[in-house]
Amino acid sequence: MKVMNCPLNGPRNISEFAWGGEVKPMPDPATMGDKEWAAWLFLEANEAGLVREWWCHVPTSYWFIAERNNITDEIIKTYPATELFNTRVEFAAKAPSGSGEKK
Amino acid sequence: MNAINPTSLKRRSFIYRELVKLGAAFGEVNGAAVALNFGATREAELASARRLALADLSVLPHAGFKGRGTAEWLTAQGLSIGPDSNIAYGQAGGELAARLAPAEIFLLDSLAGSGALMQRLNSAWKWAEAAPRPQQGYPLPRQDSHGWFMLAGEFAPEMFSKMCGVDLRRDRFADGQIAQTSVAKMGAIIIRADRKVKYGRAHAAYHVLADIASAEYLWSCLLDAGEEFGIKPVGLTALRDLEQ
Repeated sequence: MKVMNCPLNGPRNISEFAWGGEVKPMPDPATMGDKEWAAWLFLEANEAGLVREWWCHVPTSYWFIAERNNITDEIIKTYPATELFNTRVEFAAKAPSGSGEKK
Repeated sequence: MNAINPTSLKRRSFIYRELVKLGAAFGEVNGAAVALNFGATREAELASARRLALADLSVLPHAGFKGRGTAEWLTAQGLSIGPDSNIAYGQAGGELAARLAPAEIFLLDSLAGSGALMQRLNSAWKWAEAAPRPQQGYPLPRQDSHGWFMLAGEFAPEMFSKMCGVDLRRDRFADGQIAQTSVAKMGAIIIRADRKVKYGRAHAAYHVLADIASAEYLWSCLLDAGEEFGIKPVGLTALRDLEQ
Protein backbone atom coordinates (compact mmCIF):
# COMPACT_ATOMS: atom_id res chain seq x y z
CA MET A 1 0.00 0.00 0.00
CA LYS A 2 1.08 3.59 -0.63
CA VAL A 3 2.51 5.19 2.49
CA MET A 4 2.20 8.82 3.54
CA ASN A 5 4.27 10.43 6.25
CA CYS A 6 2.06 12.11 8.84
CA PRO A 7 3.95 14.91 10.66
CA LEU A 8 2.38 13.76 13.96
CA ASN A 9 2.17 10.00 13.60
CA GLY A 10 4.88 9.04 11.15
CA PRO A 11 4.54 6.84 8.07
CA ARG A 12 1.08 5.32 7.71
CA ASN A 13 -0.98 3.54 5.08
CA ILE A 14 -2.62 5.97 2.67
CA SER A 15 -6.02 4.47 3.62
CA GLU A 16 -5.73 6.30 6.96
CA PHE A 17 -5.72 9.71 5.22
CA ALA A 18 -8.37 11.91 3.67
CA TRP A 19 -7.79 14.69 1.15
CA GLY A 20 -8.91 18.15 2.20
CA GLY A 21 -8.49 20.38 -0.83
CA GLU A 22 -5.89 22.86 -1.99
CA VAL A 23 -4.23 25.36 0.28
CA LYS A 24 -5.49 28.74 -0.90
CA PRO A 25 -4.95 32.18 0.56
CA MET A 26 -8.11 33.40 2.26
CA PRO A 27 -9.59 36.54 0.73
CA ASP A 28 -10.38 39.40 3.05
CA PRO A 29 -13.89 38.63 4.34
CA ALA A 30 -14.63 42.32 4.87
CA THR A 31 -14.17 43.27 1.23
CA MET A 32 -15.05 40.06 -0.60
CA GLY A 33 -18.41 39.48 -2.19
CA ASP A 34 -20.37 36.25 -1.83
CA LYS A 35 -19.16 34.98 -5.19
CA GLU A 36 -15.47 35.22 -4.36
CA TRP A 37 -16.14 33.76 -0.93
CA ALA A 38 -17.94 30.78 -2.42
CA ALA A 39 -15.16 30.35 -4.97
CA TRP A 40 -12.58 30.27 -2.19
CA LEU A 41 -14.60 27.72 -0.27
CA PHE A 42 -15.66 25.37 -3.03
CA LEU A 43 -13.62 25.81 -6.22
CA GLU A 44 -10.28 24.16 -6.85
CA ALA A 45 -7.67 25.30 -9.38
CA ASN A 46 -7.04 21.61 -10.12
CA GLU A 47 -3.62 22.19 -11.62
CA ALA A 48 -1.33 19.49 -12.92
CA GLY A 49 2.09 19.39 -11.34
CA LEU A 50 3.33 20.37 -7.94
CA VAL A 51 0.40 21.09 -5.61
CA ARG A 52 0.06 22.06 -1.98
CA GLU A 53 -2.91 20.43 -0.26
CA TRP A 54 -4.63 19.86 3.05
CA TRP A 55 -4.64 16.27 4.23
CA CYS A 56 -6.14 14.73 7.35
CA HIS A 57 -4.92 11.71 9.30
CA VAL A 58 -8.38 10.37 10.06
CA PRO A 59 -7.74 8.27 13.21
CA THR A 60 -6.35 11.37 14.95
CA SER A 61 -8.28 14.06 13.03
CA TYR A 62 -4.90 15.72 12.51
CA TRP A 63 -4.83 18.22 9.63
CA PHE A 64 -1.53 18.97 7.98
CA ILE A 65 -0.14 20.13 4.65
CA ALA A 66 1.30 17.94 1.94
CA GLU A 67 3.13 18.93 -1.20
CA ARG A 68 2.88 16.41 -3.96
CA ASN A 69 3.33 16.01 -7.65
CA ASN A 70 0.01 14.86 -9.00
CA ILE A 71 1.49 13.94 -12.38
CA THR A 72 3.97 11.41 -11.03
CA ASP A 73 1.84 10.75 -7.91
CA GLU A 74 4.77 11.44 -5.58
CA ILE A 75 4.48 12.94 -2.13
CA ILE A 76 7.29 15.49 -1.92
CA LYS A 77 6.89 16.51 1.70
CA THR A 78 4.42 16.85 4.55
CA TYR A 79 4.53 19.30 7.43
CA PRO A 80 2.34 20.74 10.22
CA ALA A 81 -0.07 23.50 9.21
CA THR A 82 1.53 25.76 11.83
CA GLU A 83 4.46 26.23 9.45
CA LEU A 84 2.20 28.22 7.11
CA PHE A 85 -0.41 29.49 9.54
CA ASN A 86 1.55 30.90 12.42
CA THR A 87 -0.27 34.09 13.25
CA ARG A 88 -3.77 34.57 14.58
CA VAL A 89 -6.22 36.02 12.08
CA GLU A 90 -8.41 38.72 13.59
CA PHE A 91 -11.79 39.33 12.03
CA ALA A 92 -13.01 42.88 12.39
CA ALA A 93 -16.78 42.98 12.90
CA LYS A 94 -18.50 44.17 9.76
CA ALA A 95 -20.43 47.41 10.07
CA PRO A 96 -24.14 46.52 10.25
CA SER A 97 -25.85 47.15 6.94
CA GLY A 98 -29.22 48.88 6.58
CA SER A 99 -30.52 51.89 8.43
CA GLY A 100 -30.59 52.52 12.11
CA GLU A 101 -27.99 52.18 14.78
CA LYS A 102 -27.21 48.90 16.46
CA LYS A 103 -28.52 48.98 19.99
CA MET B 1 -14.58 -8.81 46.64
CA ASN B 2 -18.01 -10.41 46.39
CA ALA B 3 -19.56 -11.06 43.03
CA ILE B 4 -22.34 -8.64 42.15
CA ASN B 5 -24.97 -8.39 39.47
CA PRO B 6 -23.78 -5.72 37.00
CA THR B 7 -27.28 -4.31 36.63
CA SER B 8 -27.25 -3.43 40.33
CA LEU B 9 -24.87 -0.58 39.47
CA LYS B 10 -25.62 2.39 37.25
CA ARG B 11 -22.13 2.48 35.76
CA ARG B 12 -21.30 -0.55 33.67
CA SER B 13 -19.56 -1.23 30.41
CA PHE B 14 -21.36 -0.84 27.08
CA ILE B 15 -20.52 -4.47 26.41
CA TYR B 16 -21.45 -5.91 29.80
CA ARG B 17 -24.05 -8.21 28.20
CA GLU B 18 -21.28 -9.76 26.10
CA LEU B 19 -19.18 -10.19 29.22
CA VAL B 20 -22.08 -11.87 31.03
CA LYS B 21 -22.48 -14.29 28.12
CA LEU B 22 -18.78 -15.17 28.43
CA GLY B 23 -19.27 -16.00 32.11
CA ALA B 24 -17.87 -12.89 33.77
CA ALA B 25 -18.01 -12.43 37.54
CA PHE B 26 -18.38 -8.74 38.35
CA GLY B 27 -17.19 -6.65 41.24
CA GLU B 28 -17.45 -2.99 42.12
CA VAL B 29 -14.57 -0.63 41.41
CA ASN B 30 -15.18 3.03 42.19
CA GLY B 31 -18.95 2.66 41.80
CA ALA B 32 -18.79 0.79 38.50
CA ALA B 33 -19.33 -2.87 37.60
CA VAL B 34 -16.07 -4.39 36.37
CA ALA B 35 -15.51 -7.95 35.16
CA LEU B 36 -13.05 -9.38 37.70
CA ASN B 37 -12.70 -12.88 36.24
CA PHE B 38 -14.34 -15.28 33.83
CA GLY B 39 -14.79 -18.27 36.09
CA ALA B 40 -11.43 -19.92 35.46
CA THR B 41 -8.92 -20.51 38.25
CA ARG B 42 -6.51 -17.72 39.08
CA GLU B 43 -3.62 -19.67 37.56
CA ALA B 44 -5.54 -20.39 34.35
CA GLU B 45 -6.46 -16.70 33.89
CA LEU B 46 -2.89 -15.64 34.57
CA ALA B 47 -1.64 -18.15 32.01
CA SER B 48 -4.11 -16.73 29.47
CA ALA B 49 -2.98 -13.20 30.25
CA ARG B 50 0.62 -14.22 29.56
CA ARG B 51 -0.30 -15.93 26.31
CA LEU B 52 -3.08 -13.82 24.79
CA ALA B 53 -6.06 -12.32 26.55
CA LEU B 54 -8.53 -9.47 26.19
CA ALA B 55 -9.97 -7.48 29.06
CA ASP B 56 -12.58 -4.73 29.19
CA LEU B 57 -11.53 -1.73 31.28
CA SER B 58 -14.09 0.71 29.86
CA VAL B 59 -15.56 1.72 33.20
CA LEU B 60 -12.23 2.51 34.84
CA PRO B 61 -11.61 6.26 35.07
CA HIS B 62 -10.14 7.94 32.01
CA ALA B 63 -10.22 11.59 31.01
CA GLY B 64 -8.68 14.09 28.64
CA PHE B 65 -7.31 17.60 28.52
CA LYS B 66 -6.74 19.56 25.36
CA GLY B 67 -5.84 22.96 23.98
CA ARG B 68 -2.90 25.31 24.03
CA GLY B 69 -1.27 25.37 27.47
CA THR B 70 -2.63 21.96 28.49
CA ALA B 71 0.73 20.29 29.08
CA GLU B 72 1.96 23.28 31.09
CA TRP B 73 -1.20 23.34 33.21
CA LEU B 74 -1.03 19.62 33.93
CA THR B 75 2.67 19.94 34.80
CA ALA B 76 1.77 22.68 37.25
CA GLN B 77 -0.72 20.22 38.79
CA GLY B 78 2.14 17.84 39.50
CA LEU B 79 2.03 15.54 36.50
CA SER B 80 5.20 14.61 34.70
CA ILE B 81 4.79 15.04 30.97
CA GLY B 82 7.66 14.82 28.53
CA PRO B 83 8.11 16.82 25.33
CA ASP B 84 7.36 14.11 22.76
CA SER B 85 3.95 13.37 21.29
CA ASN B 86 2.72 9.81 20.90
CA ILE B 87 4.37 8.77 24.17
CA ALA B 88 2.51 7.80 27.35
CA TYR B 89 4.18 9.14 30.47
CA GLY B 90 3.84 7.18 33.72
CA GLN B 91 2.64 9.07 36.79
CA ALA B 92 3.33 8.63 40.48
CA GLY B 93 0.09 6.77 41.18
CA GLY B 94 0.50 4.38 38.25
CA GLU B 95 -1.68 6.47 35.94
CA LEU B 96 -0.66 7.16 32.35
CA ALA B 97 -0.64 10.58 30.71
CA ALA B 98 -0.75 9.79 27.01
CA ARG B 99 0.42 12.74 24.94
CA LEU B 100 -1.59 12.32 21.73
CA ALA B 101 -0.44 15.64 20.28
CA PRO B 102 1.56 18.63 21.55
CA ALA B 103 -1.60 20.02 23.17
CA GLU B 104 -3.67 16.93 23.88
CA ILE B 105 -3.38 14.55 26.82
CA PHE B 106 -5.40 11.39 27.40
CA LEU B 107 -5.29 10.24 31.02
CA LEU B 108 -5.73 6.60 31.96
CA ASP B 109 -6.09 5.55 35.56
CA SER B 110 -4.00 2.75 37.04
CA LEU B 111 -5.65 -0.66 37.29
CA ALA B 112 -6.55 0.20 40.90
CA GLY B 113 -9.16 2.48 39.30
CA SER B 114 -9.72 4.88 42.18
CA GLY B 115 -10.03 7.87 39.85
CA ALA B 116 -8.30 10.07 42.45
CA LEU B 117 -6.08 11.91 39.95
CA MET B 118 -8.93 12.63 37.49
CA GLN B 119 -11.11 13.87 40.33
CA ARG B 120 -8.39 16.15 41.63
CA LEU B 121 -7.69 17.58 38.16
CA ASN B 122 -11.34 18.08 37.29
CA SER B 123 -11.99 20.00 40.48
CA ALA B 124 -8.79 22.04 40.08
CA TRP B 125 -9.58 23.16 36.54
CA LYS B 126 -11.65 26.28 35.97
CA TRP B 127 -11.83 29.14 33.53
CA ALA B 128 -10.18 32.31 34.63
CA GLU B 129 -12.89 34.82 35.57
CA ALA B 130 -12.01 37.51 33.05
CA ALA B 131 -10.16 38.04 29.81
CA PRO B 132 -7.38 37.76 28.91
CA ARG B 133 -7.68 34.13 29.92
CA PRO B 134 -4.42 32.28 30.39
CA GLN B 135 -3.66 29.47 27.95
CA GLN B 136 -4.39 26.44 30.10
CA GLY B 137 -6.35 24.11 27.84
CA TYR B 138 -9.69 22.64 28.82
CA PRO B 139 -11.06 19.29 30.03
CA LEU B 140 -12.15 16.92 27.29
CA PRO B 141 -14.48 14.26 28.72
CA ARG B 142 -13.32 10.83 27.59
CA GLN B 143 -15.05 8.55 30.08
CA ASP B 144 -18.06 7.92 27.87
CA SER B 145 -16.53 8.61 24.49
CA HIS B 146 -13.92 5.87 24.44
CA GLY B 147 -14.14 2.18 25.14
CA TRP B 148 -11.01 0.88 26.83
CA PHE B 149 -9.69 -2.64 26.32
CA MET B 150 -6.42 -4.24 27.25
CA LEU B 151 -4.84 -6.86 25.05
CA ALA B 152 -2.19 -8.74 27.00
CA GLY B 153 0.18 -11.55 26.22
CA GLU B 154 3.08 -12.75 24.15
CA PHE B 155 1.00 -13.12 20.99
CA ALA B 156 -0.55 -9.64 21.08
CA PRO B 157 1.82 -8.09 18.47
CA GLU B 158 1.30 -11.00 16.11
CA MET B 159 -2.44 -10.70 16.48
CA PHE B 160 -2.38 -6.93 15.91
CA SER B 161 -0.47 -7.46 12.68
CA LYS B 162 -3.66 -8.98 11.26
CA MET B 163 -5.79 -5.91 11.88
CA CYS B 164 -3.56 -2.86 12.00
CA GLY B 165 -0.90 -1.36 9.72
CA VAL B 166 1.59 -0.27 12.39
CA ASP B 167 4.41 -2.59 13.44
CA LEU B 168 3.74 -3.26 17.13
CA ARG B 169 6.39 -5.92 17.72
CA ARG B 170 8.18 -5.49 21.01
CA ASP B 171 11.53 -4.66 19.44
CA ARG B 172 10.01 -2.02 17.16
CA PHE B 173 7.35 -0.42 19.36
CA ALA B 174 8.74 0.47 22.79
CA ASP B 175 6.93 0.40 26.12
CA GLY B 176 4.98 3.65 26.47
CA GLN B 177 4.80 4.31 22.74
CA ILE B 178 1.44 5.27 21.23
CA ALA B 179 0.05 4.42 17.81
CA GLN B 180 -3.03 6.32 16.69
CA THR B 181 -4.12 4.30 13.77
CA SER B 182 -6.82 2.20 12.26
CA VAL B 183 -7.66 -1.14 13.90
CA ALA B 184 -10.22 -3.36 12.18
CA LYS B 185 -11.07 -0.31 10.00
CA MET B 186 -11.80 1.81 13.08
CA GLY B 187 -9.80 4.73 14.37
CA ALA B 188 -8.12 3.59 17.58
CA ILE B 189 -5.38 4.51 20.00
CA ILE B 190 -2.95 1.77 20.98
CA ILE B 191 -0.62 2.29 23.92
CA ARG B 192 1.99 -0.26 24.85
CA ALA B 193 1.85 -0.63 28.62
CA ASP B 194 3.82 -3.68 29.70
CA ARG B 195 2.95 -5.22 33.02
CA LYS B 196 6.21 -5.04 34.96
CA VAL B 197 7.37 -7.79 37.28
CA LYS B 198 10.00 -7.75 40.01
CA TYR B 199 12.15 -10.39 38.37
CA GLY B 200 12.34 -11.35 34.72
CA ARG B 201 10.87 -9.95 31.56
CA ALA B 202 7.78 -7.72 31.69
CA HIS B 203 4.56 -9.10 30.22
CA ALA B 204 3.49 -7.55 26.93
CA ALA B 205 0.26 -5.55 27.20
CA TYR B 206 -1.45 -2.92 25.06
CA HIS B 207 -4.26 -0.52 25.85
CA VAL B 208 -6.77 -0.19 23.03
CA LEU B 209 -9.01 2.90 23.06
CA ALA B 210 -11.70 3.41 20.47
CA ASP B 211 -15.12 4.95 19.90
CA ILE B 212 -17.40 3.50 22.54
CA ALA B 213 -20.40 3.30 20.21
CA SER B 214 -18.55 0.56 18.34
CA ALA B 215 -17.20 -1.19 21.44
CA GLU B 216 -19.19 -4.36 20.82
CA TYR B 217 -17.93 -4.55 17.24
CA LEU B 218 -14.30 -4.02 18.21
CA TRP B 219 -14.54 -6.48 21.11
CA SER B 220 -15.85 -9.18 18.77
CA CYS B 221 -13.21 -8.33 16.11
CA LEU B 222 -10.41 -8.64 18.64
CA LEU B 223 -11.70 -11.97 19.95
CA ASP B 224 -12.12 -13.21 16.40
CA ALA B 225 -8.60 -12.16 15.38
CA GLY B 226 -7.13 -13.84 18.44
CA GLU B 227 -8.92 -17.12 17.99
CA GLU B 228 -6.05 -18.82 16.17
CA PHE B 229 -3.76 -17.92 19.09
CA GLY B 230 -6.24 -19.23 21.68
CA ILE B 231 -7.33 -15.81 23.00
CA LYS B 232 -9.39 -15.78 26.21
CA PRO B 233 -11.29 -13.00 27.93
CA VAL B 234 -9.81 -12.22 31.33
CA GLY B 235 -10.89 -10.00 34.18
CA LEU B 236 -9.25 -7.12 35.97
CA THR B 237 -7.87 -9.42 38.68
CA ALA B 238 -5.62 -11.32 36.27
CA LEU B 239 -4.22 -8.08 34.83
CA ARG B 240 -3.53 -6.76 38.31
CA ASP B 241 -1.89 -10.03 39.36
CA LEU B 242 0.32 -10.07 36.27
CA GLU B 243 2.27 -7.23 37.83
CA GLN B 244 3.69 -9.06 40.81
